[in-house]
Amino acid sequence: MGGPPYDCLSNPLGAVRFAFEKAMASGSHPSAFGGKDWGALDLFRHFLSEQSALSQVPILNPQTIRLVQPNTLVRYRGMIQDMLGNEFYVGAYKDGSSWRTNKFADVSQFPMCSSPDMCVWERRLLYCVPVPGQSSWTKSSYQPQLNQGMESSSQKKEKRRRLDVEDMDRITDDELETSPSAKKMREGDCFPSSEFRASVPEGNFPRTCTFLDVDKDSLPCLVKIYDSPESELKLNDIFEFIGVLTFDSESEAATNDYDEVSNSFSDDELVQLPPNKVPRLHCLIHRKLAVHDFLQSSPILEVNPHIVKEIREALLRHLTAVLGDDGIAAHFVLLHLLSRVHNRVDDVAVGKLSLNLIGLSKESVSVFGTRLSNVVESLLPFTHCLPLKLEDLNAASLAPKKDYQINRLRPGVLQIPEGSHLVIDETQLKAGSLDAVGVENARLLKNLTEFQKVEYDFQYYKLEMAADIQLLIFSDGKSNILPADIVIPFQPSSVGSYKEVATEALEAWRWYLATVRSLPHSIESDMQKVVEDDMVAARQADQSLGSQDFSRWLTMGRLMSSSFGETSLSMEHWQMVKELERLRRERLKLK
Amino acid sequence: MKNLDFDADKVLAKEFLSNFTDVNGEPKYMNILQEVANYKIRAIQIDLEDLDNYKDKDEEFFRRITENTRRYIGIFASAVDELLPAPAEDIPDDIPILMTQRADNGNGIENADATNPLKKMPPEIKRYYEVYFKAISKGRAFTIREVKASYIGKLVRISGIVTRCSDVKPLMQVAVYTCEECGFEIYQEVTARVFMPLFECPTDRCKVNKTKGNLILQLRASKFLKFQEAKIQELAEHVPKGHIPRSMTVHLRGELTRKVAPGDVVELSGIFLPVPYTGFRALRAGLVADTYLEAMSVTHFKKKYEDYELGEEEEEQIARLAEDGDIYNKLARSLAPEIYGHEDIKKALLLLLVGAPHRKLKDGMKIRGDLHICLMGDPGVAKSQLLKHIINVAPRGVYTTGKGSSGVGLTAAVQKDPVTNEMVLEGGALVLADMGICAIDEFDKMDESDRTAIHEVMEQQTVSIAKAGITTSLNARTAILAAANPAWGRYDLRRTPAENINLPPALLSRFDLLWLILDRADMDSDLEMARHVVYVHQKRESPALGFTPLEPSVLRAYISAARRLSPYVPRELEEYIATAYSSIRQEEARSNTPHSYTTVRTLLSILRISAALARLRFSETVAQSDVDEALRLMQMSKFSLYADDRQKSGLDAISDIYSILRDEAARTNKMDLSYAHALNWISRKGYSEAQLKECLEEYAALNVWQIHPHTFDIRFIDA
Repeated sequence: MGGPPYDCLSNPLGAVRFAFEKAMASGSHPSAFGGKDWGALDLFRHFLSEQSALSQVPILNPQTIRLVQPNTLVRYRGMIQDMLGNEFYVGAYKDGSSWRTNKFADVSQFPMCSSPDMCVWERRLLYCVPVPGQSSWTKSSYQPQLNQGMESSSQKKEKRRRLDVEDMDRITDDELETSPSAKKMREGDCFPSSEFRASVPEGNFPRTCTFLDVDKDSLPCLVKIYDSPESELKLNDIFEFIGVLTFDSESEAATNDYDEVSNSFSDDELVQLPPNKVPRLHCLIHRKLAVHDFLQSSPILEVNPHIVKEIREALLRHLTAVLGDDGIAAHFVLLHLLSRVHNRVDDVAVGKLSLNLIGLSKESVSVFGTRLSNVVESLLPFTHCLPLKLEDLNAASLAPKKDYQINRLRPGVLQIPEGSHLVIDETQLKAGSLDAVGVENARLLKNLTEFQKVEYDFQYYKLEMAADIQLLIFSDGKSNILPADIVIPFQPSSVGSYKEVATEALEAWRWYLATVRSLPHSIESDMQKVVEDDMVAARQADQSLGSQDFSRWLTMGRLMSSSFGETSLSMEHWQMVKELERLRRERLKLK
Repeated sequence: MKNLDFDADKVLAKEFLSNFTDVNGEPKYMNILQEVANYKIRAIQIDLEDLDNYKDKDEEFFRRITENTRRYIGIFASAVDELLPAPAEDIPDDIPILMTQRADNGNGIENADATNPLKKMPPEIKRYYEVYFKAISKGRAFTIREVKASYIGKLVRISGIVTRCSDVKPLMQVAVYTCEECGFEIYQEVTARVFMPLFECPTDRCKVNKTKGNLILQLRASKFLKFQEAKIQELAEHVPKGHIPRSMTVHLRGELTRKVAPGDVVELSGIFLPVPYTGFRALRAGLVADTYLEAMSVTHFKKKYEDYELGEEEEEQIARLAEDGDIYNKLARSLAPEIYGHEDIKKALLLLLVGAPHRKLKDGMKIRGDLHICLMGDPGVAKSQLLKHIINVAPRGVYTTGKGSSGVGLTAAVQKDPVTNEMVLEGGALVLADMGICAIDEFDKMDESDRTAIHEVMEQQTVSIAKAGITTSLNARTAILAAANPAWGRYDLRRTPAENINLPPALLSRFDLLWLILDRADMDSDLEMARHVVYVHQKRESPALGFTPLEPSVLRAYISAARRLSPYVPRELEEYIATAYSSIRQEEARSNTPHSYTTVRTLLSILRISAALARLRFSETVAQSDVDEALRLMQMSKFSLYADDRQKSGLDAISDIYSILRDEAARTNKMDLSYAHALNWISRKGYSEAQLKECLEEYAALNVWQIHPHTFDIRFIDA
């Protein structure tokens, strides 16, 4: 294939049309495609296969959004927060004697009149948001490359924004008085963030300045998916979408044209997600992102046992220092940071290892808890902190809930992607009574810790979504709301400060955590025998041990050997696990 | 498209409507048309199944209807126009006079100017009936996800749950104007939801005279339709893992309005259509189209066993299963297959699902058929999982905890409606589970007020309310499956069972079966557990079960088929049951520490369990084997509580079996005992066949009895 006559980067639609015409010329009929690809994707795959090409594609974020041109190729990284169903569009139509296509576009390039020769295809709409709880160190990796002239334009924007706000107030007031339907709509939208407000008409700004009301911190995006099986993209997955950014100047005005005559349910995405706040991306290529993709400069290292061991030692030393020289707790924290749900068997999520540090009072949490949260934040890409307060528990909506007024999934605190880390601080909880919401929230948290599942509330039924969240709980006594796998009394011996860590070390640790976590694991048959015998012996000695404890031991065994970069359980590591358990039990007894 | 001949199709439609006869030989559609002509009904529903069964079926015609349904509604409607018979009865007075009047004077003027389409009276305005097509109900309905772009314009059948409903509003179908100048009536058909009114009179007279006559919309003369918009959403079981349920807009017109409410699970057939855009949005309409479903028929899903409709495949499968001799075990094992062991408990739970028929005596007294089961045991023995699984299998089940999650609690509550300030009655879990199963976890931690009410629910199967001026009694015909923890969290073996069970005897006696699941430690089961855990971690899956469990849907179908029977106890068994009951009573009287209260309730329990067993065999009569199994289950449930006592009493299993057999022989005053009979007796006491064989051999060696070498019949040697 020779060089395409169109520039994939600045005129992707041209490339799409080029491929379409080529396919037409070879005698195919558009209805035969049924919306399937005709070779345009290969063009882009080919283009992006070069390393440098990918980095040329600008990443869409609140900073760059003002600078990118519509109808160009952009990248967007985000989590799929909601799925808005599918949309039917005229994919191909006959313009005179030749066929034209509208794929990957919102508006037709050529004027079209309704003709019988039209093919209606469908595409899926995904509402994506920036990954919740993304640590700041991951973001710096994509500072915009084209930030010249940023300063002046953003100043201008501030001014304009202020104007907009005034505008909006005036208009909404008018609307409230005059039109009952507008009022209804306002009642319907109760999103906390401004991005869901009904939009305001804007003047004819130059095309580049169209996304004025974009929130400084978060930029949602409506991604339109064309050729990919449904099973590929799941809720809460983190994806990088590469596609055509479009902006439809006409539909902008349409948002105000909320139709009062037909009083239809206002679930049109134009009303909900005005295009000047939520850009549209026609996805050409998407790929699922792993933690590695968020590492700044991934030092491509072999999993060398020696290096891994070194990094492990350093990290453990650091954790011990952070935890006030409590070596046992540091060990458990390390294992905890490496855990993830490998697999689900029936109701059991295999591989989870939630950790409950007990013996923390309100005061000590402010020292050690904050320290530990900061360390976790600096090590893992997606972290959250949830102080558990009675008022919050009674008021907060932890689980996502479907809002039928606006036909959208209202995000909850627990809608976070796989592999997120969640710190829950129970020391803030005071005695008091829970209301219905509070009970429900407590149940959700319990389900999450026990089964790694979150129930999404669809009002008429609940839908269980699998989660994979590392839970770290701070509490005074053993937490009953969050029955963690491991309960360990925290016994710091010094409050001394710890050294600041060099960036290189941090990067190495991040790489270590990301890599070691996904190592495979197996147990040799002779080791299996030892493990089984140990378990039976333990149960003979202590009746209260159950299958959950056994499961936990095996998980710890796996994590222990993984932490050394090994893929099968060795006697030495099994002994370490048993020793850790013994020390932990001793501490519990002393309590 | 090939040249379509709609006139020919109209003839076909007419032929079908006038010639179709149903299974009884009645001309189904002509009867409907007569009803319509008599102003009795307004909807004409054409069941495509009838068209499919029609003797002169035209495949092409049939296909055209399903693929271009909207058009064919019009064709059938005009066919109906021509076929409509004269009213056979006096038309009620309230039928619009305007209609007849218009028909009278319309004829004269209309013909004069028939060329102008706006002047011609559209047939819609005269129609006071509506034509609907009902899709063939064969096969599975689509989920919303499966309706793709290629289905636009076609008749589809979709199942889903209604999430929102608008108010019913009038929708203009034909707008009628009169001209100020010439006085003509002008008609405008409205097909979309928005229309552009006419302003200038289009008649020849006005045009020729250039008067531009002003048109006035005549609301009274125009034709309106009832119109309702609804949203349906995919059912939870149709949503693939990791996806959000899809939804779809549904338009309901005319007689189909007010048929659905939010929360209803429905099956709709309808035409999948794009929305005609209006106004500004039409500008982008060329590119994007919203779609909706023009509803043609609405069927509510029945979730009760009684209304469960079996497909042909299912019936075959059930017939195959019924022939299988081991169906009882197979079904029981398929309940919660991931939970290891507990076979007898699963059998009991299966019987709970099946239940016995309700009996209503002549004097109005009701005898419940629902079985109540209580599972008691140490924490962490999968009680809750069993409960949840049963709820999954049952078509109507409510899972709740004794503490109750809302103010309504388990039974019912009177609450003040926040909007109207009226007192309203709100049913709790037990009322919601009427005709189903109510699983109550943490039964022992129940509120005191609920605990008193539950006595009534469990025997009378009603909930009585006398609060805030409302006195009423709600039905709660539900089978209760309770799970409770022992009094001190864990079962304390040093205390008596009565002390461990934290429930009053009055409540306990209402349970047909009571199981104690203990977390006993022994080497074998520990190793088993260790192996299981290691296996799960190693292989990332559960160990193979050694059998393929039946799907919950199959279970449900089988149970619903079984529930249709109501077996009776034949006369010859009455004596048998009576003796069995009295011997239990005797035994209890003899022992100095009675463990249980054997009352008439026990007798009823035996009957209930036997009837449920007979249902499982698809038998109309209860057999002796059913009674024996019922007795065995009751015995096993008792043993689960008192297993330790038995060991304490000093008798080992073998000698116990011997004494049972000797007693039985002495009772009947015979020296012979058939093997089958012996097996019966010992299994009732909770022993296995292997133990019986062992006993037979051991005592035969002692020359206490002789064993027949082939039949294993026993003959006592009189010493």
